[in-house]
Order: sequence, then structure tokens, then C-alpha cells
Amino acid sequence: MSEYLETTIDKFVFRVATDRLFSVDGVWVQRQANGVRVGLTDYLQQRNGDVAFAHVKPVGAKLAVGDEFAEIETIKANASLFSPVSGTVLEVNAALALSPEIINEAPYDKGWLAVIEAADWHREQATLLTPEAYLSALRSQAEQELSGS
Amino acid sequence: MSQTAVYHTTVQWKGEHRGRLVMGNGPEMDFSAPPDAHGLEGVFTPEDAYVAAANTCVMMMFLWATERFKIKLLSYECRTEGTKRIELDRTEIFTRLHFRPVIRVAADGDKPEVVEARVRRALQSAQKYSLVANSVKSEIVIEPEIFVEE
Repeated sequence: MSEYLETTIDKFVFRVATDRLFSVDGVWVQRQANGVRVGLTDYLQQRNGDVAFAHVKPVGAKLAVGDEFAEIETIKANASLFSPVSGTVLEVNAALALSPEIINEAPYDKGWLAVIEAADWHREQATLLTPEAYLSALRSQAEQELSGS
Repeated sequence: MSQTAVYHTTVQWKGEHRGRLVMGNGPEMDFSAPPDAHGLEGVFTPEDAYVAAANTCVMMMFLWATERFKIKLLSYECRTEGTKRIELDRTEIFTRLHFRPVIRVAADGDKPEVVEARVRRALQSAQKYSLVANSVKSEIVIEPEIFVEE
């Protein structure tokens, strides 16, 4: 069971799971036995709205850091998600095909997107943000949005 | 994305219990109160406007949602009822908006139960993202009938 940091901005509450790392653009990364599991942060799913479809690169796809590994289509927008690590897609969350809303309902749990066999985890993890650093980054992003700048 | 937009209408008294309404988007029409509130038959009323605002807004948001959810819509019709309560102090409030949409969609090669689930999610999103539904304090109930045609 994950624990969370929490911040309230305007009328919205955003949670950041404390048991994983983050890219600055809102993808979480959690170390697994066979690679890293990745998904959207609570902030990113709330910013993009109700998910209609999630398209994740198929098993076997090779990724470099910054490559698009998934696209979500929501009621409001299409959003590309960029891989925070290099490696190969090992597994895609099959539940997303029929129930993409789990990304909104449980972004840190059932709404995960893929497992990636990380090619250079020890080096790349150093480029990722801690929960505290991501919380600070999302606060800045949200406050910038609210101020319209 | 804290942005604002402004919409406007103008009303003008035309004598007795009748007025003229000019909408910001162009249409004009006479209005009154409902006959049971000392108004006139056959013209637009604030009560109509309130229920219509919610009904039209949810429908427009649903049309958008069907496009985003890739639903092949065949027909949509929705009767919506607003329930007014007269309080002890004689003030009045719409306590409930009850939507009964009848929706026909094409299966378009998918399993009917999958399409129906997608339509229900699109309806939930339509309610969530409808400007008017999001703005009213009436309880909102949506009871759809969904028909998936193979």
C-alpha cells in the first residue's frame, strides 16, 4: 500500500506516491524485480481529464529516454507520454483496453501503463525526481497554469 | 488554465407580464412567467430556460464526448424535468434535474456491452464537463436508456 504526499492547489488535491520516482513531466517510475513499472501521476491525470483511450507501445518496443511510449486520448485532449528510461517494453496493462478509466481512478495502482526492462537504470534513476522534488515541480506547474503565465 | 469567458443576454420589459429576451448568440424571443405563476401561455419562461440550459449543455457535451470516445451515435433524445420546491418562507428552488436520455448507437464491430459501457462513461463525462450541469446546485440524476444496434 503506497503512502502519499499531498498538496492542495485552488480547489484541487494532488497526491504524490512516496514509493517511486518521477519525471518532471508527470510519469512515475517504480522499480520492479524485472524492470520498472510506469504510469501517470495523479496531477497529470487530473490535468488531462477523463481518459477515453490509452495507447501504449507494444511489448518488445525499444525506447530511449524521451521517446513517446504512450498516448492518452481524454475527453479534453490528446497527450503524449515520454519514456523516463531507456529499455524494452516487457508488459502493457491489458486492463486499459476495456477500462481506461482506471488511469483516472487509480493512477498509482491499477492504472499503471507498462513495465519496461530498463537498460541503464542505475545511471538513469539519478535523473529522476524524488517525491518531494516532484511535489515541488507540480506545485510550480499548477501555479503557473493558474496565473496564466 | 485558470481562464474566464463572459456570456450575456439582455431583457427588456414589454408591458404587463411580458418581456423580450435577446441572447448573446443572436436569437430573440418573448418571455413571461409560467401560467401557474401569473405568466402567459406559449412563451419562453425562466423555468424553461433553467431546465433547457442544463438539457442543451449536457447534450452538447455528450456529442463532444461521443467524438472523443469514438462512439457512432445514431440518435439522442432527452426529456429533462426540473423539480421546483416551494420553501416554508415561500422562496423557491430547483432541487433536482432529472435527465432521461434515449440513446441509440451503432456497435460498429465492437461487442454491445463494450459499447454500452463506453456510452455510460461518455455520459458521466458529459455531466462532469458540462458548464451548466457543473454550475447548478440542483441534484442531477441521469437515467439513460441505451440501445446498441449491431
